[in-house]
Amino acid sequence: MPGRAPRVTKTEAIVIRQRRLGDADRIVTLITPLRGKVDVVAKGVLRSKSRLAGHLEPLTHVEVVLAHGRSLDVVTQAQAVESFPALRGDLDRLSAALYLTELADRFTVEHADATGLFTLLHAALVRLDRGDGQQVVTRTYELALLDATGFRPEWTRCLGCGVEVPAGEARWSPLEGGVICVECVARYPGALPIDATALRVLRAYQSLPYEEAGRIRLTDDLAARLEQIMHSLMRAVAERELKSAAFVSAARHARVAEETATAGLDEIGNGAYAEDAD
Amino acid sequence: MNDFRDPSGSGASPIARLVDAFHRLPGIGPKSAQRLAYHVLRAPEEEARDLADALMEVKRSVVLCARCQNVTAETPCRICSDTGRERTIICVVEEPLDVVAIERTGGFHGLYHVLHGVISPADGVGPEDLKIAELLARIRDVDRDIAEVIVATNPNLEGEATSMYLGRLLRPLGIRVTRLARGLPAGADLEYADDVTLGRALEFRQEV
Repeated sequence: MPGRAPRVTKTEAIVIRQRRLGDADRIVTLITPLRGKVDVVAKGVLRSKSRLAGHLEPLTHVEVVLAHGRSLDVVTQAQAVESFPALRGDLDRLSAALYLTELADRFTVEHADATGLFTLLHAALVRLDRGDGQQVVTRTYELALLDATGFRPEWTRCLGCGVEVPAGEARWSPLEGGVICVECVARYPGALPIDATALRVLRAYQSLPYEEAGRIRLTDDLAARLEQIMHSLMRAVAERELKSAAFVSAARHARVAEETATAGLDEIGNGAYAEDAD
Repeated sequence: MNDFRDPSGSGASPIARLVDAFHRLPGIGPKSAQRLAYHVLRAPEEEARDLADALMEVKRSVVLCARCQNVTAETPCRICSDTGRERTIICVVEEPLDVVAIERTGGFHGLYHVLHGVISPADGVGPEDLKIAELLARIRDVDRDIAEVIVATNPNLEGEATSMYLGRLLRPLGIRVTRLARGLPAGADLEYADDVTLGRALEFRQEV
């Protein structure tokens, strides 16, 4: 039938989210290369014999066949290409992956080409799964995502006057997305101090190829400072709280508490949860 | 619900109000809402009063059990106060209905703890939004003999994240943390099984 739009599409996708629809169906949110973010209906996936369910879990790289429905497309076939099992089995990497997908969700528009963002997300998940450092994967992903969506932060030149700012003297503004020199700081009332080492690492992450960025050694403390800077930047750009960012930190705190306890120092009992006792 | 607007213009008619109320229930579309409203309209007054009483009763008398956080008419609930149950093992579930499902198997005789959700950052739910603090407090202060916690969250991404997080919090307390086995569901077809499920089924295979 010439001229008629095809009734089914086959595409690769990364599953980023699911929500319930009625008794047994789910609405699955996919990031696809050519159609950006799409919501599709997966029928019967809450039934235990569903042939689709396991293939449509969040954080799965999947090949799907979609039948065009009146409002939402319907998944008729799904086959997992990669399910990133190592990433799912480790809470730190899993929380990082959830953060990456929440960012992808916020920064991808519906029904528009997103080949670049799809490739970025896919590469980051592959890297987390094979055991690359969680910090370098997350930070380079954030920076590349900002770059691709037109929010590239300016880590070198002052936002006010364009002069190159020495790392030791820089201030920065999450809202404006860059560094500010001492001369211009009065014009940016929201400007914050920024750690010089952290700033140098961010400059390197922004300019170096991924493999070289991965060679930069980070202490736990420096990693935490980088995380804090980038989380506030991402929050400012996304204009909302990122729940997964808080979970990345919560997972790490729980790991540190467990390691401390295994080392013979039981702190959990007197920890943050004590005040909630009934 | 334009069709039911009061012609006198003094606000929504009682029927429109009822249709609206039904429409807000999960899984009820506009047509079903109309059908239910007209059923109530035609039904004897007694049936309508029964429904109204049941609705009010459930809001008035059902509370959360102070120990296990399950929905109950009295606290501690029937299961928590049953002296015949094993008091060294807690099964942690996502929702009250999961308690019903596990009780139906007849294979578990310990205590429960209901989280009322699961960690799901994509939906804005973090650990602090669940009854995790209550679980830790309970193990520390009330059920001090707990030796094992079975995490029976669903075998999906959010359920796994929640179980790993609980493991990190509970292991330092000297508690054995276990997870429900995963594998092929009864009546399944190998050909259509996903890699994760089939992999787990192989890993946790059993003697015939």
